[in-house]
Amino acid sequence: MGLVKEARVLLAGRDWRGRSRTPRTAAPHEPPDEPREFPTGWARMAATVAARRTIQRAGLTPLTWSLTRPDVQGRDRLDSLTGPVVFVANHSSHLDTPLILGSLPQRYAKRIAVGAAADYFFDARWRAAVTALVFNAFPVERYRSRRLRSLAPQLLARGWSLLLFPEGTRSEDGWMSTMRLGAAQLCVTRRVPAVPVVLRGTYAAMPRGRNWPIPGRPRVVVRYGTPLSPVEGETARTFNTRLSQAVSRLWAEEELGWYQSLRAQADGELVLPTGPPTASWRRSWESTRPLKSDRGPVAWH
Amino acid sequence: MILTLEYYHSPTRYLVGRGATGTALGGRAAGVIASNLSPLRLMSRPEPRLPGEGWTRVKPLLSGICGSDLGLLTGRNSPYLSALVSMPFTPGHEVVGETLDALPDLPRGSRVVLDPVLGCAPRAVPECAHCAAGEHSRCNHITSGSVAAGLQTGFCADTGGGWSRMLVAHQSQLHIVPSTLDTRQAVLVEPLACAIHSVRRARIPDGAGVVVVGAGTVGLLTILALRECTKAGPIYVIAKHAHQREHARQLGATEIFSTDRAARALRRAAGGFLARPERGEEFLLGGAEVAFECTGGSGLSIALRLVRAGGTVVLSGMPNSGTDLTPVWFRELNLVGAYASGGRDFPEALALAQAAPLQGYVDAVYPLSRWRDAIGHASAAGRLGTVKVAFDPTKE
Amino acid sequence: MSRPGFVLEVDERTPALLVHEGEGFRLERFPLGTRVIYPPESLPGIRDVDAEIRRALDHPIGREPLRELLRAGMKLTIVFDDLSIPLPPMRTPDIRQRIIEQVLELAAEAGVDDVELIAGNSLHRRMTPAELKRTVGERVFRSFFPGHLRNHDAEDRANLISVGTTDHGELVEINRRGAESDLVVYVNVTLTAMSGGSKSVSVGLASYRSLKHHHNVHTLRHSRSFNDPPNSAMHHSYDRMAAVLAEHVNIFQIECTVNNDTFPTATGFLNKREWEWSLKDQATYLAVKRGNDLAPARRRRQLWHKTSAPYGITSVTAGSPEEVHAVTMRHVLRQQLTEVDGPADIGVWGLPYICPYNVNSIMNPILVMSLGLGYFFNLYRGQPIVRPGGVAIFYHPMRNEFHPVHHPSYIDFYEEVLAETTDPVAIETKYEEQFASDPWYTHLYRNSYAYHGVHPLYMWYWGAHALEHVGQVIFVGADRRTASRLGFRAASTLDDALEMAKDTVGRAPSISYLHTPPLVMADVR
Repeated sequence: MGLVKEARVLLAGRDWRGRSRTPRTAAPHEPPDEPREFPTGWARMAATVAARRTIQRAGLTPLTWSLTRPDVQGRDRLDSLTGPVVFVANHSSHLDTPLILGSLPQRYAKRIAVGAAADYFFDARWRAAVTALVFNAFPVERYRSRRLRSLAPQLLARGWSLLLFPEGTRSEDGWMSTMRLGAAQLCVTRRVPAVPVVLRGTYAAMPRGRNWPIPGRPRVVVRYGTPLSPVEGETARTFNTRLSQAVSRLWAEEELGWYQSLRAQADGELVLPTGPPTASWRRSWESTRPLKSDRGPVAWH
Repeated sequence: MILTLEYYHSPTRYLVGRGATGTALGGRAAGVIASNLSPLRLMSRPEPRLPGEGWTRVKPLLSGICGSDLGLLTGRNSPYLSALVSMPFTPGHEVVGETLDALPDLPRGSRVVLDPVLGCAPRAVPECAHCAAGEHSRCNHITSGSVAAGLQTGFCADTGGGWSRMLVAHQSQLHIVPSTLDTRQAVLVEPLACAIHSVRRARIPDGAGVVVVGAGTVGLLTILALRECTKAGPIYVIAKHAHQREHARQLGATEIFSTDRAARALRRAAGGFLARPERGEEFLLGGAEVAFECTGGSGLSIALRLVRAGGTVVLSGMPNSGTDLTPVWFRELNLVGAYASGGRDFPEALALAQAAPLQGYVDAVYPLSRWRDAIGHASAAGRLGTVKVAFDPTKE
Repeated sequence: MSRPGFVLEVDERTPALLVHEGEGFRLERFPLGTRVIYPPESLPGIRDVDAEIRRALDHPIGREPLRELLRAGMKLTIVFDDLSIPLPPMRTPDIRQRIIEQVLELAAEAGVDDVELIAGNSLHRRMTPAELKRTVGERVFRSFFPGHLRNHDAEDRANLISVGTTDHGELVEINRRGAESDLVVYVNVTLTAMSGGSKSVSVGLASYRSLKHHHNVHTLRHSRSFNDPPNSAMHHSYDRMAAVLAEHVNIFQIECTVNNDTFPTATGFLNKREWEWSLKDQATYLAVKRGNDLAPARRRRQLWHKTSAPYGITSVTAGSPEEVHAVTMRHVLRQQLTEVDGPADIGVWGLPYICPYNVNSIMNPILVMSLGLGYFFNLYRGQPIVRPGGVAIFYHPMRNEFHPVHHPSYIDFYEEVLAETTDPVAIETKYEEQFASDPWYTHLYRNSYAYHGVHPLYMWYWGAHALEHVGQVIFVGADRRTASRLGFRAASTLDDALEMAKDTVGRAPSISYLHTPPLVMADVR
């Protein structure tokens, strides 16, 4: 029998990856599916880091900067920071990660790992490999479906900063949803500062479902906030509240300006920008409104 | 003028044929060599003259192709025999014919078979001791007398041979064929006489186990002769081809073995131990009492290995291969030759041929003009399911 | 945690399944609804085998600890199973070596000088020195060979002794040294449910005159199956003989069982269930299959016979034969038994390259028959996987090849006896005496490396029960002439075979496929 014929017999009843379905009568005898972790250790080796920086600096960042007009604000607030930190950002677009990675100061950009949804980015091996290579992503369990031991504490311990999106997923309509406790918990237990980051206009530039930014170099804003450190005895919950306050304020800074936003915060008027309780089209309509053109950082409004 | 196939003197062709068939590949292509390289030609020749008193012209009706003829054509026959023939001659010594001259006790037009041996009587020389004893196949005067040298009709330049439209024969050589015997079976009388002669040569004890190596014409007729003329016990036959097995069984063979497992099978049947030399074929310590070599070739080596110590090996076929004779020495074998026939062998053969189931043995008859086909067929007779191939010179 | 065996029902999701066929294998797509009987997955092996052996020798069942049975000046004989088990041969060090070494250690401690080692090869061929060395290990071999480490000789009249007769009139005749020893330590490996226990000494050290009482057509036809001792006439006879032996011979039995790790890890897919094959398994399958098909026949055979199994040991038990064997049987069945719901119209078996009688040799057609209709057909408890009058389909190329040194009488049996009849009773009546007493076969058995003259007949009897039970036997992929000589039919594909079977079992037959090796024993309810 020729090789081709042999292969045909072998592959009959199997998918292109050679996987067969379990025959019905064999199902009760199926071994429990052991969670398999995609190894990402290699993505943090020196050679991979160098390769990634090349890819980012020569490809990803210039590409992002040519397709959008990023307006990076508050980067000076990172100057005094040392050691690993957790960047906590809102998430509404695939542009978010490249924008943050491209705007971070060199010392952080070199040594940052990005939490990525295990069920989405680490589902297929090729996608996992690409994500790990380009973004230094590590798998994060969103739904607790499988009990993977998180890599995050280890990474922090080894001096890696993390970029986490505590909403857990990209926004459906450009507005934020509640921030989950995970990031705050991490900061509290590992005693590392969190840096709130807000991205505005990225939803308008490349919403969910698009895989290329809209034409016309839309303006996007990357705004870094003041680092927050958990204080002695603070619980994850209270720290998370502080964190969301900071995010809300950074978000509002776009419309209110810095000082007004501070005042609004002091008056307790700020809440997480979860959007108006209106019809969904109006929510999307609002969030896709283009950001007002360059005004530069304004303190007074 | 008569049409005749003539074997002529050609040392080159003889040597080329001998050289070629000596190799393994050439051995397989013996048919091609025999029909293309042999010094044989179809010619018109003057009729042979009658050498003297008691001779008659004979018109061959059917003339068999014998293993020794093929050996001659392929050059496998030993050069020893060249002193006993006179060239050019017409081959053919298994002849059924019709007499063309009237002789005392043999009216013209009689259907006869030919005893081909040219002993003292046809040669009109004083009888040698053997001929006087009725063993004319052992005649010493085979090269002298009124006809040219030649051990048999079919090897003699003066008598002509069966593969032609006419030959001459001495009255002493001719035996009338009873009208009940079909010509096609009558052509087997000569080889049958030889077979009877060979089984007589061996002096087979009653009930002795006998091996017949080869089941061509000679082998089959040997089985027949063993059953009819001796009190041999089991007869084991080594046969290559299916039709040969069938015939052998019909003639009374006890068991039939294939060549490759003859030794093992015979060991089971006749007892003994099987020995396996590092090189060469396996052999028996034990085995049959008598073996008949009926292949005219490699069969001798097999036969020598299947016979128990002190046993007898009879050479029925013309030996034409070099054979390791160590078993003859070590097992103290009697190696017995059996050439042609003598004494009462012919009349007995005639009688036996009428009784025996020999129908269908001659199933390929060719005219002289298709001699190449005929020779080719005869060379591969076993493979083609044929026992005996013959010429019918009367056919166009 | 190893999963139990189970019966798969082929549905449209089922990929092609692996079938062994001699020195090769193929993937076969079985008709929907075919039931495939899978063995339990390999049980975990004992981690510290040596400690387990020590424990077994110190805490035997139904006997004093071995060290208490040993004393200076005694006559000690260690008998061990020959190379017919396990199959394929186990990776060195062989378990027999490990056990024997510990037994000898104790014997040395006790100051026993008169120690003999005998391979219990019965009518099997003698083991070559290299094979002996592989089985007992370098150290034992060096200390005992050739003077005190040898093969049992069932034809050495001077060294056989009649121990007695059973109440059924069966003669018990065994090796003289064994019978006259103060203690016989039997070292056994139980691969299938048929071996070990009473069989060990009463067969391993027996003579032909003794063996013929249970190795005959009648007994085998009433052994249903011979892998289920309580229902095996053959084992009843062994038990009777063992009872006689127990009165005269002091036997200390050591038995062990192996798990189902039959194939080395490089060809791990052979041990796995097909729908769980990874991409790597599939690539390995293709490569191995292709390489195997293209390899020259001699080389292929060499490679197959060079493989050894990485068996894990699942139990070591020592003590009185009967009690030890009960424990052993539990372990064997735990590893091999799979429950099956009733017999089918057609049974399918893939026959591998090896059977007990062609280790380092050639699997000739008679051995194919005995492996298929004997060993594999009888891998059942209750009733066969095929109904009476059903069709048995086997896979094997069944070439007309024989090992001239190991199987001389097989050649004659095939050429002479089978040409005449394939009926076991007719063969037994007419030929057994001849083959058993042929001096040449006896000579080769004793001095060369040949199986006993009567052995091919035994192989034929082995299939007597199956021949009687099934209506038709078809070999897929077999040489036509060979198959017909054996009285079977040959088909080139499974489809052809099923087509042929229609005459016997109708248009919509039920089919059961015994997926083995690794070994599985069907518990058919």
